[in-house]
Amino acid sequence: MITCESLGKTYRAGHGSKRVLDNVNLSFKRGDRVGLLGRNGAGKTTLLKIIGGVIMPTSGRVVREMSCSWPLGFSGGFQGSLTGYDNARFIARIYDRDYKDLRGFVEEFTELGQQLRMPVKTYSSGMRARLAFGLSLAIEFDCYLIDEVIMVGDRNFQLKCHTEIFEKRHDRALFLATHGANYIREYCNLAVILRHGHAEVYDDIEEALAIYETL
Amino acid sequence: MSALSEGWGAQVRVVKALMLRELTTRFGRENIGFLWIMAEPLLFAVLVGIMWTYLKGPEEHGVGIIAFVASGYIPLTFLRQSFSRSTSIFVVNGSLLYHRQVKVTDFILVRVLIEFIGGTMAWLFIAFALGILGYIPVPAYPGMMVAGWLLYGLVVLSVCFVLAPLSEMSEIIEKIMPVSVYIAIPISGTFTMASWAPPSARDYLLMSPMVNTMEMIRYGLFGDYVEPYYNVWNPILVSAVFMMIGLVLCRRVRRDLVVE
Repeated sequence: MITCESLGKTYRAGHGSKRVLDNVNLSFKRGDRVGLLGRNGAGKTTLLKIIGGVIMPTSGRVVREMSCSWPLGFSGGFQGSLTGYDNARFIARIYDRDYKDLRGFVEEFTELGQQLRMPVKTYSSGMRARLAFGLSLAIEFDCYLIDEVIMVGDRNFQLKCHTEIFEKRHDRALFLATHGANYIREYCNLAVILRHGHAEVYDDIEEALAIYETL
Repeated sequence: MSALSEGWGAQVRVVKALMLRELTTRFGRENIGFLWIMAEPLLFAVLVGIMWTYLKGPEEHGVGIIAFVASGYIPLTFLRQSFSRSTSIFVVNGSLLYHRQVKVTDFILVRVLIEFIGGTMAWLFIAFALGILGYIPVPAYPGMMVAGWLLYGLVVLSVCFVLAPLSEMSEIIEKIMPVSVYIAIPISGTFTMASWAPPSARDYLLMSPMVNTMEMIRYGLFGDYVEPYYNVWNPILVSAVFMMIGLVLCRRVRRDLVVE
């Protein structure tokens, strides 16, 4: 179970400040697939980062009662100057996993081959997505936080994600920020719409998508 | 209790991983980079030593000038490197904060530890290179020298704990750092000993934790050829105060830190 209790986040901007999240309350448990919807700038990435513990909320708190991945997105989590292998080694060390097992899985899942010997900053966003998914799947979290990035993969990557996440790990939780309505329709059982700093939770995906269309 | 030991285990893993990453990049890919940590104090000690030998004679207050310069310059290099590399350290390592077990305080600890290892290697390297030639004596009280060096490291670490979050709050810190380190050299004990100063000035000098620890290092190295003045509690208390302020600041800064 992961619970957000009256989360608020204010960013400082110059001399003023911007309130991105006002009072967000929501919770989800293992097996839940939550689709996070909202316009650009509504605070989707901010919410994901707070749930993942990358940034701290200005008020409120997050209670994590299951292990939770870092937000898998376009940036963060890797050191650009290090190679894919070096990053894998580092992540294996801090998550206390066996590097050989991890490497094996990553090589097979990412199919990046020689590219893994290159600095991560030379990767395209699709390649980064492959590496991030490969590593976090090898670590085996209870909950995966995904920020858009699943959409940048090619057909082959989409299929792999489908097998690895939606079939093999269907008992895990998934928190997915995306604009892809079809994705949410196909995979999610809960939808959250972020607007005006508040989160509205819908059991009925079609209802949520209809509201999202009008935003 | 098990939560505590679990937390400790996670922290040790993170610090180890960060150290290994840092060491491999320095040793593995920039061999020369790490060599410089050792070579720079050697070069400085020899050149300044030669200059001072001609200006003032081969000995200063009864101890060899090259050994004296080297024993001051290695700690100073460590201090300067640690300070300057602590600025903006949170932003530079920001992408690592995606992993919840990595704390901002780990960055500072690892940075200073690496510099401390570099400094220690510089000591060994210089002691070996110049010791053979007879310019550096065998430490009279090795325990005292090590204790002084460790306390010196503790003080630098605690100051970095304050500098790192402050540099995140204001850019001024980064700008004024080099000049303030330079100005602080006279009260750092780098090129002087407390016994050379008039008694009235000495009391002020001994308020500096750098002076106290340098006196210990020099006493350990030169033994009874020098007349040391130090109080072990000064560096311990000063670093405890800095450390507490630093931890509060780190916590504050972390709360508002924007991680891309």
